[in-house]
Amino acid sequence: MKPVTKEQLAGLASLVGATREQEINCSECAVFAAEFAERQLAGLPLDETLAKVEDHLAVCPECREEMLLLRRVLESGN
Amino acid sequence: MAVWALAASIRRIVTEERDWPQALRAADNAPVVEELRVVLLNGLRAALSGRGDVGEAHLEDFTQDALVRIFAKLDEFQGRSKFTTWAHSIAINVALTELRRKRWRDVSLDQFLEDGRHFAEAVDESAPADGEEEREHLVRKLKRAIAEKLSVKQRAIIAAALEGQPFDQTVALLGTNRNAAYKLLHDARRTLKDALTAEGISEETIRTSFAS
Repeated sequence: MKPVTKEQLAGLASLVGATREQEINCSECAVFAAEFAERQLAGLPLDETLAKVEDHLAVCPECREEMLLLRRVLESGN
Repeated sequence: MAVWALAASIRRIVTEERDWPQALRAADNAPVVEELRVVLLNGLRAALSGRGDVGEAHLEDFTQDALVRIFAKLDEFQGRSKFTTWAHSIAINVALTELRRKRWRDVSLDQFLEDGRHFAEAVDESAPADGEEEREHLVRKLKRAIAEKLSVKQRAIIAAALEGQPFDQTVALLGTNRNAAYKLLHDARRTLKDALTAEGISEETIRTSFAS
């Protein structure tokens, strides 16, 4: 295995630091992703469930990428 | 508000007055399916604009696959958001899952687990720490926790994540499902966090030590 780079170590530290005792997984995140995106774009507060979506996005780069694109779609007026 | 943005808002309001799930379930649903197809296609075009590896034919394929998925999941729509937002989220997942598949590395389960066995050794506690004492202390403890607290599979799944390996490939290599693989990864992260905090390293320090 190649040596772990400084950037990878930074990523690992960030992931470990952002880890919560209870987390939702990708499937559960997907259920609430649309509501999360709409509320976040509208500047509305997030309830407890949607806060867990935010926590999940902090540790899951793939769901984060999908959320970024969903926001792009909504912002484009589609 | 710009005219185009106003028009887009009005279009969305008008569109959302319709009960999409009911219209899609109707026997004569062809016009509404076509309308949804165009909505999804335009959404994917906006989402994936600027990507050199995505052409119009890909967008059409992703849209068709998304329509199939949306019909399969129609009963799961809870009305917590606009229907079109929910549908866009599914279309984006369909498209990115397919695009990530193209990034799958040529790696076997043996190689995946071998990386796990040697993951701790691959962490050099001094080189990436720039001689900064707090950071070096954190990396030293992290390396020790990886070596002593994690299983080979847990080390392998973290190593794969750091390498940017698509999660679906990790799931396939492990012969499991996404939720079980996510639990494995979550347990590994939680174990490392517990080990570090037991050493007196705060959550804030863990998160921010590499920030600058």
